[in-house]
Amino acid sequence: MNASARPRRRRVSLLPYLLILPTFVFVALFTIWPMLLASYQSLFLQRLNIARFRTPTFIGAQNYIDLFGDDRFHQVMVNTLLYVLGTVPLSVVLGFLFALLVNRAMRGIGLARLFFFYPTILPLVSAATIWMFFFTPDYGIFNTALRAIGYTGPQNWTSNPNLALISVMIVTVWKNAGYYMIFYLAGLQGLPQDVFEAAALDGASGWQMLWRITFPLLRRTTLFVTTIAFISAFQTVDHIFVLTQGGPAGASSVLLYYLWEMRFEFLNVGAASALTVVLILVLLVFTLSNFLISEQREDAYAK
Amino acid sequence: MRANSRLWLVWTMVLVLALAVAGCAAPVAAPAAPAAESGGEAAAPSAEPVTIQVFYPVAVDAPIAQILSGYVEEFQAANPNITVEPVFSGGYGDVKTAIQTTIEGGGAPPALAVMLATDIYDLVNAGYIAPLDDFIAQSDPAYVADFLPAFMANSAYDGQTWSIPFQRSAVVLYYNADLFKEAGLEPPVDWQSWAEAAQALTVRDGDNVTRWGIEFSSDWPYWLFQPLAIGAGQNIVGDNPTEVFFDTQAMQDTLQFYNDLSQVYQATPPGVQANWGQGPSDLASGQTAMVAHSTGSLSGILSQADFEVGVMPYPGKEAGSFASVPGGGNLYIMDGASDAEKAAAWQFIQFLTEPDRVADFSIQTGYIPNRSAAFEAPAWQEYVATVPQAQAAADALQYAQAEFTVENLGEVRTILHDYIHKAINGEMPVADAMAAAQADAEAALEPFQQ
Repeated sequence: MNASARPRRRRVSLLPYLLILPTFVFVALFTIWPMLLASYQSLFLQRLNIARFRTPTFIGAQNYIDLFGDDRFHQVMVNTLLYVLGTVPLSVVLGFLFALLVNRAMRGIGLARLFFFYPTILPLVSAATIWMFFFTPDYGIFNTALRAIGYTGPQNWTSNPNLALISVMIVTVWKNAGYYMIFYLAGLQGLPQDVFEAAALDGASGWQMLWRITFPLLRRTTLFVTTIAFISAFQTVDHIFVLTQGGPAGASSVLLYYLWEMRFEFLNVGAASALTVVLILVLLVFTLSNFLISEQREDAYAK
Repeated sequence: MRANSRLWLVWTMVLVLALAVAGCAAPVAAPAAPAAESGGEAAAPSAEPVTIQVFYPVAVDAPIAQILSGYVEEFQAANPNITVEPVFSGGYGDVKTAIQTTIEGGGAPPALAVMLATDIYDLVNAGYIAPLDDFIAQSDPAYVADFLPAFMANSAYDGQTWSIPFQRSAVVLYYNADLFKEAGLEPPVDWQSWAEAAQALTVRDGDNVTRWGIEFSSDWPYWLFQPLAIGAGQNIVGDNPTEVFFDTQAMQDTLQFYNDLSQVYQATPPGVQANWGQGPSDLASGQTAMVAHSTGSLSGILSQADFEVGVMPYPGKEAGSFASVPGGGNLYIMDGASDAEKAAAWQFIQFLTEPDRVADFSIQTGYIPNRSAAFEAPAWQEYVATVPQAQAAADALQYAQAEFTVENLGEVRTILHDYIHKAINGEMPVADAMAAAQADAEAALEPFQQ
């Protein structure tokens, strides 16, 4: 009996690994391998536009030392932090509010959903091109609208040192809020109705239901949405190419844009690899801590 | 039965996996195959069919894709053994990035590409492009000598020639000649009369400006600013590719003049201006009386404007001098191409730069004819008889000096741009900004000094 059961069990235990193997191969090939390669290359001096430095030379941590002493790197890290803080919470909260707003049965609700969702289906480059027109000094729609409500301040948004990063952030929030709305809308529609009925019987107010029931029940959605919002804040810089090219004087340059510049404009492979490692570490720390904090909350709810 | 179905599942998975692995392996194997083939071709006689790719930017000022595809058809009809595959991508930067990633990823680069003339040092140092001296030696000596010297200024490095001028432009000043006449103004002859004309032509309606005297884009500033520095007596680059002239009286005068245009004369919006894209249409629609722009915008402006358009080089700081710089893209042959592909690419270059075709290309796009013989072409003569501005744009070139390019161009240019931005946005005094730009640029060029 034992003899006949054993091979079967072994086969069963093999199956899950076989099933994830194709995914694993792709992840290893396109994610893990490039990460390892970047970490390795970051320890070498390699500059493609200097003939004698084209072949990599081992220099230990020198790329990192140079980077941490570089003013532009400091500026870029501060910009990145401001960009993340300015876009992630705002677009997630707006996504949640939009979802609450359109999660009801009434005439024309499909149109309202489409209205909120439509920025998502535009490619970011097109969205940025549209906004570049909005931001046009003097007669751009954005400035005309601001003038109508009495604002006559600086109108040159994309090349003003104090407004360039904000211009880029406005486009990001406008573009992403509708996307996050979709996840919250799906979450809202999957919520069990009996909890709300019970709460209503107990006399809970709408606010209490929203804050004590809806929001906690959607924490998985929130975890997912904040994670993709955070990653996208680091990964999407297309609109910066269109709107500001990181300028003026680096005022709207963020980590990935600087990485692109370092790699493809300055042709400095070693420094670009070091920047890649910094980017990966930041993403890893955030994603893990977001996950762990949320799991902890999960335990708290379970108790 | 259950065991059987599991077994079946496992075998299916193994099959899927095998396919996936094969799928992964395929792209790795693919680049090797053409390389082997083309190696064989190199040894074979030139009548062997050969295919060359041409990487080409389309985000330029004219409907290039269409025009170039027409030339490709003509060329293939005349050379049945050569197939030309144009690959159009975004802008100059996208073409360069595509080539870099192809070459460094181990793929086969295109045989020919149109990239900025100023990219030369980075392209040579990275080993991406092939010198053209052998091809030039085999052709008629009059051929290369016929290209305009201002356009060949960025083709030589290390005693060799690396590119052939193609779609070349220059910086000029466009002005609304009707407005000048109405106001009784002559075209400017020095900075003073230029700024005063801009001031006189600015129209305000209360606090609102309905027409600026001049629009002068400054978010990607080196190109439009360089002729100012030249007009003030000192270009920002010289003959040595590791030397820059940022901390000079000429550059300080340049930035001061730009700031004065907004602060003293109130004839242009203050601060860094990101209005390159709308400049030509603003001139045509009367939103501005003058615009500093590329000769490449000429046909666009002429087709929209319902007034007489004036075209001239920038006036110099002192009366009597004028200034301009060339710009635009050259044809480069890639080093990774096989000998047969290189030869075919050279043939295509010569085809593209035949005088009549250069004249046709210039008439259709607004780019300046890149060689003297094209100015003699009947089509060009006929064209400038009706559009004298095209000849005026080309004539600006006689005041042109070399476009800004140095070793480590990307980094040094970013340094220059950053400090120009700071000086224009009032974050740093002009003199301090240029001193800092010089110091940072010299540090960035230090590894290249040898």
